[in-house]
Amino acid sequence: MSEPAYRNVSVDEDPACPSHDAGPRVSYQLHIDGGVREVAGAWFGESLLRVLRDHLGVLSVKDACEQGRCGSCSVLMDGRLVTSCTVLAADAADAQVTTVAGLGVGGPARAVQAAFLAHGAVQCGFCTPGFVVAVTDLLARRPDADEDEIRESLAGNICRCTGYGRIIAAIRSVQEARRRPGDTRWRPGTGQRPGTDQRQGTGR
Amino acid sequence: MITTADGTIGAQTARPADHPVLGAAGLASPASLYRPLTVADTVEILADGAADLLAGGTDLVPALRTGRRRPRRIIALRRVLELRTRGASADGLIIGAGVTYQDLAGWSLSPGLAATARVVGSPQIRNLGTVGGALGTADPRGDLLTFLSAADAEVVLRSVHGARTVTVPSYLAEGRDPTELITAVRLPRPCGPQAYLKVGARQAASAAVVSCALVVDRVRERVACAIGGVAGRPVRPVAAEDFVRAGVDWATGTAPPDVVAGFGELVTEAVRAVEDPLPDDPRASVAYRRHAAGVLAARAAGRCLSGPSPVRSAGGR
Ligand SMILES: Cc1cc2nc3c(=O)[nH]c(=O)nc-3n(C[C@H](O)[C@H](O)[C@H](O)COP(=O)(O)OP(=O)(O)OC[C@H]3O[C@@H](n4cnc5c(N)ncnc54)[C@H](O)[C@@H]3O)c2cc1C
Ligand code: FES
Ligand code: FES
Repeated sequence: MSEPAYRNVSVDEDPACPSHDAGPRVSYQLHIDGGVREVAGAWFGESLLRVLRDHLGVLSVKDACEQGRCGSCSVLMDGRLVTSCTVLAADAADAQVTTVAGLGVGGPARAVQAAFLAHGAVQCGFCTPGFVVAVTDLLARRPDADEDEIRESLAGNICRCTGYGRIIAAIRSVQEARRRPGDTRWRPGTGQRPGTDQRQGTGR
Repeated sequence: MITTADGTIGAQTARPADHPVLGAAGLASPASLYRPLTVADTVEILADGAADLLAGGTDLVPALRTGRRRPRRIIALRRVLELRTRGASADGLIIGAGVTYQDLAGWSLSPGLAATARVVGSPQIRNLGTVGGALGTADPRGDLLTFLSAADAEVVLRSVHGARTVTVPSYLAEGRDPTELITAVRLPRPCGPQAYLKVGARQAASAAVVSCALVVDRVRERVACAIGGVAGRPVRPVAAEDFVRAGVDWATGTAPPDVVAGFGELVTEAVRAVEDPLPDDPRASVAYRRHAAGVLAARAAGRCLSGPSPVRSAGGR
């Protein structure tokens, strides 16, 4: 996937999408990761995912199913976790959109990213940005979620590589680090060495 | 600020004419996105019946992408705050069409609705998907539709000519006029235990293969049940409802195990008798769904009618 070509794809040149003749091209602004981005000439029915990737070159937001089923395109919209492929981009014009790059330093995001690396929760990496957004959202709301709640909360994010065990281990380590006496900051767990956790998920 | 190719069109004023915030002026049949702020403006834009409504987008946006839906005009409801309220009165509960599953999932006033909302999709889908969208799509496997059928809910629709209220079955039979907006659903206040049980392809984040909603009304001494995923719309097994109602000791709100088991069997019978069964599916045969409907119904009745807690909800497992 060559980046510049992909980034500049114009909707007119995408014959795979029959719906693109069904409405006008429109221009508007999106608020992404604290900045304002201009969208020029996008088809009015375009999803937020397509606009982020094809018009704005935000490639950390992954595209796998475009049906809301896999979670790889997860972002926060006004602080709520959503699949960007099921959001109409032009209707997000007054919302704050946060991708993995904009999760900030105040919450658990950095700790989550470090723990994913430390625990081998990143393999091909395709699902990772979506997982990091979803896990950060979960831990910010429910820092003490137990394993059942973690698994259920991540049911909308599919990973085809890790079997989920390492992802769960990474999240548990972030929770443990936070619980250590005297430490209320989010930081990654250090108790386990990379790749030593062999627990596998049930795949649900 | 949002602009079209030919200039800027504001979005904040009240007149519908000002709402086509995105659009190609000058076309014979202008295609546009409208983002109104009020119900009154929305129904005015809808008055010619030529626009599609967009709520959470979980059904509509993927359909736009694949070309299954090709509206020329879209009215986005996200900014219509009136639609996002919910409340309770002496008569019952009223839930705006823009209320999301996530809003319902924690709502203590309706444990059955909360249990239903919690087993819909994933957190991402629950944050977006709305009550109005569920009724707009009217998927026969839709969880909310099944629960609302058991709860004797009504759908409130509004057009420029005024509002009307219809029962869920007549809404499903007659549909919505393209000039009408669903503004809310109404349902009686819970007066007893409620359950919503669902079998899906996975334990979470998947549509129902079969589902069962059970609503016990200890004041009116009634049991209502709806089965989703077996027919073109949720099925009310009336004979089974009557049977269990007669078998409940209403002083305690409990039913003996043989009544609960008999209820399950009668539900399977009712599913066997439906006139418009959903066809066999490689992963869920008609026979399996019939059987599962009876199992879920008996399990739901077991949870709701084994006392002693006066109001109890059961989740989706
Ligand atoms: C991955 C995934 C998993 C899902 N899992 C489940 C599940 O487990 N259970 C389940 O029941 N559903 C599930 N769904 C379906 C979906 O989330 C629901 O049908 C949802 O309620 C639709 O609401 P929405 O606000 O997103 O609707 P939209 O997509 O915005 O609209 C849906 C339809 O309703 C119409 N509409 C919207 N609002 C109104 C209104 N106020 N008046 C009239 N018409 C209106 C629209 O025009 C459109 O036709 C799932 C969907 C996805 C993508
Ligand atoms: S690409 Fe959006 S959920 Fe799969
Ligand atoms: S790491 Fe490959 S899909 Fe998750």
